[in-house]
Amino acid sequence: MAGVLNTYFRNIFDTAATVFEGMAVTCSHFVRKPTTIQYPDRTDVRVQDTLPYRYRGILEVDLDICTGCLACERACPIDCIVIDAKKDKATRQMMLNRFDIDIAKCMYCGLCSEPCPTGSIHHTPEFEGADYSLESMLRRFVKEPVAAYKPKKVEDDPKILPVLERGMRYLDEFANPDEEEKGAEA
Amino acid sequence: MSVAGFEVEVDRGSGLETEEMTLNMGPQHPSTHGVLRFVVKADGEVMRRAVPDIGYLHRSIEKISEKVGYHGFMPYTDRVDYVAAMFCNQGWGMVTEKLAGIEVPKRGEYCRVIAAELNRISSHLLAVGTMILDIGAITPFFHAFREREKINDLLEELCGARLTYNYMRVGGVAWDLPPGYEEKVLAFLNQLEPMLDEHYDLVSENTLFRGRAASVATISAETAISYNLVGPNLRASGVRYDVRRDEPYSVYPELEFDVPVGTGMAGEVGDSFDRYYLRVQEIRESVKILRQCFQQIPDGPVVAKVPRKLKPPAGDAQIRVESARGDMSWYAVSDGSEFPYRCKVRTGSFAAMSIIEEISQGLMLADLVTVIASLDIVAPEVDR
Amino acid sequence: MLQQFLDSLIADGVFGGLPRDIVYLIGMAAAGALVVFGFVLNVAGVTTFVERRVWARIQSRVGPNRVGPQGILQWLADGIKLLMKEEVIPFAADARLFKLAPFIVTIGFIAAFVAMPFSSVLIVADLNLGILYITAMTSLVVVGIMVAGWASNNKWSLIGGIRAAAQIVSYEIPAALSIFTVILVTGTLSMQGIIQQQGWGPWDWFIFHSPFTFVGFFITFISLLAEGNRTPFDLPEAESELVAGFVTEYSGARYLFFFLVEWGNLYVISAILVTLFLGGWQAPPIPVISDSAVGRNVLEFLTFFLKSYFGVVLMMWIRATLPRTRVDQLMTTCWKYLLPIAFFNFMGTALWVLVFPEGFRFAEILLTAVGFGLLGYFAYRVAFHLRRSGAQITLSPLS
Repeated sequence: MAGVLNTYFRNIFDTAATVFEGMAVTCSHFVRKPTTIQYPDRTDVRVQDTLPYRYRGILEVDLDICTGCLACERACPIDCIVIDAKKDKATRQMMLNRFDIDIAKCMYCGLCSEPCPTGSIHHTPEFEGADYSLESMLRRFVKEPVAAYKPKKVEDDPKILPVLERGMRYLDEFANPDEEEKGAEA
Repeated sequence: MSVAGFEVEVDRGSGLETEEMTLNMGPQHPSTHGVLRFVVKADGEVMRRAVPDIGYLHRSIEKISEKVGYHGFMPYTDRVDYVAAMFCNQGWGMVTEKLAGIEVPKRGEYCRVIAAELNRISSHLLAVGTMILDIGAITPFFHAFREREKINDLLEELCGARLTYNYMRVGGVAWDLPPGYEEKVLAFLNQLEPMLDEHYDLVSENTLFRGRAASVATISAETAISYNLVGPNLRASGVRYDVRRDEPYSVYPELEFDVPVGTGMAGEVGDSFDRYYLRVQEIRESVKILRQCFQQIPDGPVVAKVPRKLKPPAGDAQIRVESARGDMSWYAVSDGSEFPYRCKVRTGSFAAMSIIEEISQGLMLADLVTVIASLDIVAPEVDR
Repeated sequence: MLQQFLDSLIADGVFGGLPRDIVYLIGMAAAGALVVFGFVLNVAGVTTFVERRVWARIQSRVGPNRVGPQGILQWLADGIKLLMKEEVIPFAADARLFKLAPFIVTIGFIAAFVAMPFSSVLIVADLNLGILYITAMTSLVVVGIMVAGWASNNKWSLIGGIRAAAQIVSYEIPAALSIFTVILVTGTLSMQGIIQQQGWGPWDWFIFHSPFTFVGFFITFISLLAEGNRTPFDLPEAESELVAGFVTEYSGARYLFFFLVEWGNLYVISAILVTLFLGGWQAPPIPVISDSAVGRNVLEFLTFFLKSYFGVVLMMWIRATLPRTRVDQLMTTCWKYLLPIAFFNFMGTALWVLVFPEGFRFAEILLTAVGFGLLGYFAYRVAFHLRRSGAQITLSPLS
C-alpha cells in the first residue's frame, strides 16, 4: 500500500518537475535571437552571394572557351546535355551547332564540370530554378553555329583571357582531383 | 464480409452488432514521412492489425545502375536514402573498389568518415525530431532541425549540395576538405553538445514524452534478430552489433568509440523510448569520432587514380556499411564491361517496415505513429 | 446596467411607443453584436497571430511579419482568405448537420461572454448562477464537435468527435469540483460576487487562500485545458494521428468558425481562471485615475484583460513545450489523479472554511511566498539554460 501511494505521488511530482524544467527551456527561448533569415528580400546580402564556392546550382556554359570535346556529354548520367559538334571540312575547325542543357532533367551532380578541360561548363550559385513551362527550362547555349575554342600554349586574346582565367580557377577549386585522372585517361 | 482485402468479423449473435473498423492510413497522411500506407484494422482506439503497403516510392534505382556505369551511378545512390545519402555513396564506392581492386588513399578514407559521421548526426537529428513531432510536441522538432541545418551548411561547403551530396567517387572523395573546415566543424560540435543537454531536459526527461514512448512496441532481442532488424533498432533491443565495430571498414579500426545499446532506462529494453534515446547517444558517439578524425587525418591525395571508363574484372562483390539506419549491404556483379551486370541494396528500413505488423497488435491508434517514427523508417529506402 | 440604461432611454422617449420587452430584445441584440464584433472576434483573431509569433520565437523562427506592421494584420488576411474559399461539402456527408455543427460550437463559445465580468460594471448580465452558466455554455462546444465528427462521414473525423466527447465529459467533473472549492469559500456563484470577495494583492486572491485552493487552481487549469482541446490534451484534432480530427472535411468559412472558437476559447478559459482564482478585475488603487468612475473601470478592464491574456500566452507556451498524451493516459490522468485530488480538495476546503470562516492570514501570506519562490526558482532555471546554450540574447519582441 505504501509502495503504491509512493509511486502515485512520485508520478505527480515527476510530471510537475519535468514540465517545470521543459517550460524553463522554452521560456529561455523567448529572449534568444531567432536563427532564421528572411529570404528573399530581407537579407543583408543576396543569398546567392553567401553560398560556398563549391555550391552546385544551375549549370552555365562559357562558349568562348568550350573546346567541343564532349567530355561533359559523356559524363552526364542522365543525358541532359546534348552537344552537336562537327568538324567543318572547309575551315578544318570544330564547329558547335548545338549545346543544350535540359535544366528540368539536370540533377546537379557535378559530374559534367569535373572532366571539362577549360572550366567552360560550370555550376553557378543560382538556385531559383522555378519556371512556368518545361520548354523554357531547356537552355540553348548555341544561338548560331560558332567555332569551338582551340587551346593554345599561351592565351593572348584579351577577350577570352579573363573567361579562361575564371574557368581555370574554377577547375582548381572545384574539379581539383581530376588533374591526376586526366593522365590515367590518356 | 470483405473490406479492402480484410475479412471483417461481424458478431451477429448478441443483438448488439459491432465490427472492426478498417482505417486507411496514408499514403497521404501527415505522419507517414513520405508515402507509406498502412491498412489498419481497429477496434475503436485499439489496433488489431496494421499492415504496411509498400511500393509507392519505387524508382528502380538498382536497375538504373545497369545502364549508367560505375561513375555515373554515384549520384543515383544519393536517392536511395536521401536523409543519409553519404552512406549510400560510400557503399557504392566501396563495392566498386572491391570489384576493381582499387585502394583508397588514407586522407580520402578520413574525408569519407568525416562526411559520413556528419551525415549520421543530421539523419539522427531528423529521426529524433520527427518522432517528437509525431508525438505532438512541435518545438523540439524545430530545435533539431536548426542543428541539422547547420550540418547542411557544413556539407554544402564540403560538397556543394545540401541533400544529394554526390561527394564520394570510386577511389576516394571528389573534393578535399575546404580551408578552415576543421575549425568550423569543431565550433559546430562545441555548440551541439549543450544543445543535446538542453534537448534532454526538454524532451527525454519529460514524463509525458516518456509515457508515450516507454514500454510501447517493445521488440525483444530474439524478435529483432528473427526479423533481421539492423542498426539502431537492433541495438535498442540490447544486441551490441555495429558493422563499424564488428566488421570494420574504412578507418574505423583506428578510431575509438562506444557502441551504445538499449538499457530500458524508461521502461523495457527495446521499447520506443530506447530506440529514440539510442539515436541521441549515437549522436554523441559521432561527435567523438569526428573529433578524433580531425586529430588523426593525414596529408595526401584524396582520390586514387581511376580510369574514366572503369571496367572491373568479371566477378561479384559485397560490402556492408553502417548507415544511419543500420547495416546497409551493397552487392554488385560485374561482367567485365563498363556497366554493372547487377546491383542490389539491402536497407535497414525495409526490415523495420516488416516488423510493424507484428509489433502493432494491440497498440493504441496513436502508438502507430510513435512506432513508425521510432523505427526511423525512410520511405524511399524501403522501396528504392 | 444595460437594463437601467435602456430604462432611461425609454423614459426619454427614444423608442416611441415600442413595448418594453421588444426594446430590451433590441438592446440585448445590439449589446451582443457589439461584444461579438468589437471584442470576441478581434481577440480570437489577434490570438492566432500572437500564438504564431510566440511559437516562432520559442522555435528560433521569426513568424508572420509581412502583413501590416510586424505582421499584426496576418489574422485578417487569413480570415478573408478562408471566407473567400470554396466550401466543399463531401457527397456522403450528412449535409444539414455538417452545416449546422460550426454554429453550435460558436454559440456555445459566444454565449459564455454574457457572464464575463470585464470590470465592476462592464458585464452583460451578472447572473446569480454566473460560473455555472459559463461552465454549462462552454460544454455546448462538445455537442458541436460531436456533430461535426459524425456528420463528416469520415472515420478520422468520427474518432476525433468521439475522443472529444469522452474527454470533455470526463474532465467536466474535476473542473466542476475544483470550481466548487472557490464557491465554498465565497458562498456565491455570481461572477461579480466572487471577484468582489478578492483583493488586488496576490495575497487576497483565492489561489493563495488555502493550500486546497492552491492545488485546486492547478486542477482547474489542467481540466480546462482538456476541455478546450489544448495540448497536451489536443487529441480530438491530433494532426499527427487523425489528420485533422473533426475538422478534416471542413473548409472555408465553417473551418474558420472552428478555429475562431478554438482560439477564442483560450481567452474564455483564462478569464474563468482569473475570475475564480486570480482576483478578476481587482486593480490596485491609483490615486488620480481611481477617483473617477470611468478611470476606475478602464483600469479594472485593463487589469482583467492583461491577466487573462497572460493566461492565453501561458497556454500557447505550454502547447509549444509539451507532447500530446494518449487516450488511455488522458483518462488515467482524469480519473486516477485529478478526480481523487479534486475530491480531497473539496472536503479539505469545506473543513478549512469551517475552521477559518474569515480566512487564515498566515497561510495566505505563506502560500504567496511559496508561489513567488517557485517563480524565482523558475527564473533561475531559465537563466541557467540561457547561460548553458550560450545563445545570442535579444529582448526585443520585434523581428
